[in-house]
Amino acid sequence: MSLFSFTLIFAMASLSLCLVMTGIRFAIGPTLPDRITAFDLFVANIIGMVAIYTEFTGNEDFIDVGIILSLFGFLGSISFAYYLMKSTR
Amino acid sequence: MKTFIIHFLIAFIGSYLYFKYGDPMLPYNAFWAVVVAVFIMFVLWLTTPFYHRTYFHKLPRALNFIAYFLKELVVANLRVAYDILTPNYRMKPAVVAVPLSVTTDLEITLLANIITLTPGSLMIDISADRKLLYMHTLYVKDNDLESVKYHIKHGFERRLMQLTR
Amino acid sequence: MLDNINFLLIREIVSSVLIIIGVVFMTISTIGLLRFPDFYIRMSAITKGATLGLGLILTGMGIYFNEPDMFLKVMLIIGFTFLTSPVAAHVIGRTAVRNKIPFWERTNLEEFKDYLHKEHSAHRDHERDNKQV
Repeated sequence: MSLFSFTLIFAMASLSLCLVMTGIRFAIGPTLPDRITAFDLFVANIIGMVAIYTEFTGNEDFIDVGIILSLFGFLGSISFAYYLMKSTR
Repeated sequence: MKTFIIHFLIAFIGSYLYFKYGDPMLPYNAFWAVVVAVFIMFVLWLTTPFYHRTYFHKLPRALNFIAYFLKELVVANLRVAYDILTPNYRMKPAVVAVPLSVTTDLEITLLANIITLTPGSLMIDISADRKLLYMHTLYVKDNDLESVKYHIKHGFERRLMQLTR
Repeated sequence: MLDNINFLLIREIVSSVLIIIGVVFMTISTIGLLRFPDFYIRMSAITKGATLGLGLILTGMGIYFNEPDMFLKVMLIIGFTFLTSPVAAHVIGRTAVRNKIPFWERTNLEEFKDYLHKEHSAHRDHERDNKQV
């Protein structure tokens, strides 16, 4: 096992830990905007995981998932915030 | 500003096409791609005095602005990281109303994006008459709100106005 | 002379260093998301750390693959993330202010009182109007 693949495994494990911690905040977050922030961080973490997985397998097609995910994550958080603003007015 | 964006796109696509379809003498890697893009931008910059005179003086200032912004980004990230990893909070948050000197839509959007992209400061809203910008900030030293305003106005806003006017 | 250098090794080392720095930034941001006391502090400190970490990870990946197509896609993702992350943060922050999410008790709110008063009384007027209708 080379140093490089060790780096990739370490990065993957650390990002998975991040995902679990974000999930805790998503569960206990006292208000709805907290949960939207946690959702934003979810999307960023998953794009990072997709990138590292692409590098791990050497298959270049996976990076397209990252492009689509970055588009849809932005749409999701914006529409949640918009819905929240409308529902209280 | 518009000329800068067009030149940046031309340089980026030119570098891409040169390495994809051209017959490059250089071995491809990220370093040479950036060098070729910068070279194309430099050549385009030398031609600007014929049709856009002020741009010729503005590019050095734009580079200065980008360098200042990157420095602020890294410094603020490290400060927030130090605060996260040590057990006590050193921060004193506040909401500051910064008086604006910029007027047009483009300038206000750019300023707001840059302020929000710097960690430790978050733009909340603009007052209805576009004179005040409400900004949530961490790290106010001994309740001195004026120093925060001075830092924003003389750091970011002055450089931005030099670029867009 | 150029033949003697192992380019793959150099690329792997640069890519590893960038990925490790990015992952450390992301981990620090996530710990901050758990630790900080107030919604606005979490919001302003966290989203940007995650954006910077993501940019570093993606740059490392683009350098490792060493192809024009890959670099173009990576630049696309980085540009889009840096463009949309402040917009999302701003929209969520303004929504939180309108929904009366409380600030931390040590926050200095002197210059913000007028705005808060106006926003929240506007809410009340609106609700009253709805009831009359």
